[in-house]
Amino acid sequence: MSGDVKQLSFPPGTELVFGPQAARRQFISDRIAGVFRGWGFTEIILPAFDSGETFEGLGEPGDETELYHLVDREGRQLTLRADFTLIAAKALAMELRRDARPIRASYEGRVYRFAPSGHGHRVEQTQRGLEWVNAPGPVYDAAVVMMARESLQAVGADDAIIVVGHAGFIHAVLGEQGRAERRLLEALDHKNPSRIRQLAQRIGLDSDTAELLAALPLLTGGPEVFESARKFNLNAAAQAALGELESLHSLLTEAGVRGNLLLDLGEVRRSDYYSGFMFKVYHHAVGEDLGGGGRYDRLFDRFELDVPAVGFGFNLARLAEATSRDDYTGTSSESVKAGDGAEALKRIHDLRAQGKPAIMEGGA
Amino acid sequence: MLRVALPTGRMMKQAIPFLEAAGYAPAESLNETRKLTVPSQCGRVEYLLVKPVDAPLYIEQGVADAGISGKDVLMEVGADLLEPLDLGFSKCRMVVAGKPEIERKLDNLLSPVRVASKFPRVAQHYFRKQGVPCTVFKLSGSVEIGAVLGLSHYIVDIVETGTTLRENGLVVHEEIADCSARLAVNRAAWYAKLSEVRDLLVNLKTAVEGART
Repeated sequence: MSGDVKQLSFPPGTELVFGPQAARRQFISDRIAGVFRGWGFTEIILPAFDSGETFEGLGEPGDETELYHLVDREGRQLTLRADFTLIAAKALAMELRRDARPIRASYEGRVYRFAPSGHGHRVEQTQRGLEWVNAPGPVYDAAVVMMARESLQAVGADDAIIVVGHAGFIHAVLGEQGRAERRLLEALDHKNPSRIRQLAQRIGLDSDTAELLAALPLLTGGPEVFESARKFNLNAAAQAALGELESLHSLLTEAGVRGNLLLDLGEVRRSDYYSGFMFKVYHHAVGEDLGGGGRYDRLFDRFELDVPAVGFGFNLARLAEATSRDDYTGTSSESVKAGDGAEALKRIHDLRAQGKPAIMEGGA
Repeated sequence: MLRVALPTGRMMKQAIPFLEAAGYAPAESLNETRKLTVPSQCGRVEYLLVKPVDAPLYIEQGVADAGISGKDVLMEVGADLLEPLDLGFSKCRMVVAGKPEIERKLDNLLSPVRVASKFPRVAQHYFRKQGVPCTVFKLSGSVEIGAVLGLSHYIVDIVETGTTLRENGLVVHEEIADCSARLAVNRAAWYAKLSEVRDLLVNLKTAVEGART
């Protein structure tokens, strides 16, 4: 008996969804795909694994323990897809070298990242997202936020909050010295002012910078955070990033995207490819973010291409938790008894010919 | 209403005066109740009374929007949380301790060091970071005895005054971290309940500063 039970389990963190929950997931995915199509995006289907270098720079430097590696029979070292943007960039770079142009690509699939068991974290995560390449400047930034908002509305998660920050701002404030201290980034990510102060002092940052860094955790909110940030002595690069974020905010306001939008000047990311604005989506009913994205203008440098790009993705499992609407349970269908034999099959044939749903029931 | 996880036991007793001073006094005595949830008198907060080691997980998963947890527990559980305020009480140090005669430097041991701890994750992480291979034994209490009776070379544990170590003939070899009670906040709640969380943070901060002076 115990052998049977062992056979009937999957490794922790893998994803198994069926029944109404799977229907909800499919509904969400279809709705978002509809929004992306409506903005002129077409599907891109990407490899599930690639050589490890594609995913370099994810997570802690030198610590690749989040990645799943495998070896094929010809001895190739392979890595399971851990991030869509990185693998999509490689695929798009091939296409851009042939013909440089704006490309709107959307994708859906799983990414795989190890997480210790016991926390309820998923190691398999299904994402639906998009990549928009040769998309420069704040108008495209705003368009991407609008698409995220429209997607959230389309799946009934209107009350989700989009939190916008800027990678360039943190980058500029930290300076070379600050960026080299991984623990400082961690402290910023955990919004821990006393730890930020302690580390800033330890690595010898000047007191103005240390005070600004320690204040960042509280620079979350509406447009008033711009004013709060300007009270500090900002370098030119930080001011430029702040200006970019401010123009993005006013573009969104002018375009009528109001409410459920927050700014967070203290937002940092573990993926180091972001160069401009970045955002995450949160919902009061779900403990973790529902997705996010931003601008990564230097991502294609590794392919010797100069391509401004934006993109984002949703985590479909978490998005499903945030949406409680029940309009995806499907339409009512006529049931036909399997025991009626040929008569049943004929009835189903007629119903299906009319495009109506039909379910055969009464089997073993 | 914010749901705030409170670890039961000693930390809760120490937390109550701060919660009262911050204006979030519990509606009934937390020390006597057998309930699992208790609202605050002001009605802005509902306390979830949980085992200390479970608090980070409740907060990370969003079951609680925020909560109080010891840094030692936060380090061991490794949950992904915001940590915006050091509450300053329940102070202790996370240390590597052992018999005084173990003077071999941690970084030139040839065979794996044996470490006993109630904090196996912290111990593992610390020795790995030093590049020292180690075998960790998870104990549930009286960790000192591990080093005294020779189960392990070292123990990783929290110390307040160091009396227990001294009485057992052990000394501190390395300091890992300063620990104290922290206000921890769920990432989604930080944004989705911004003003309520901000109020809690500011009020608790004022109470903490008031206690210091």
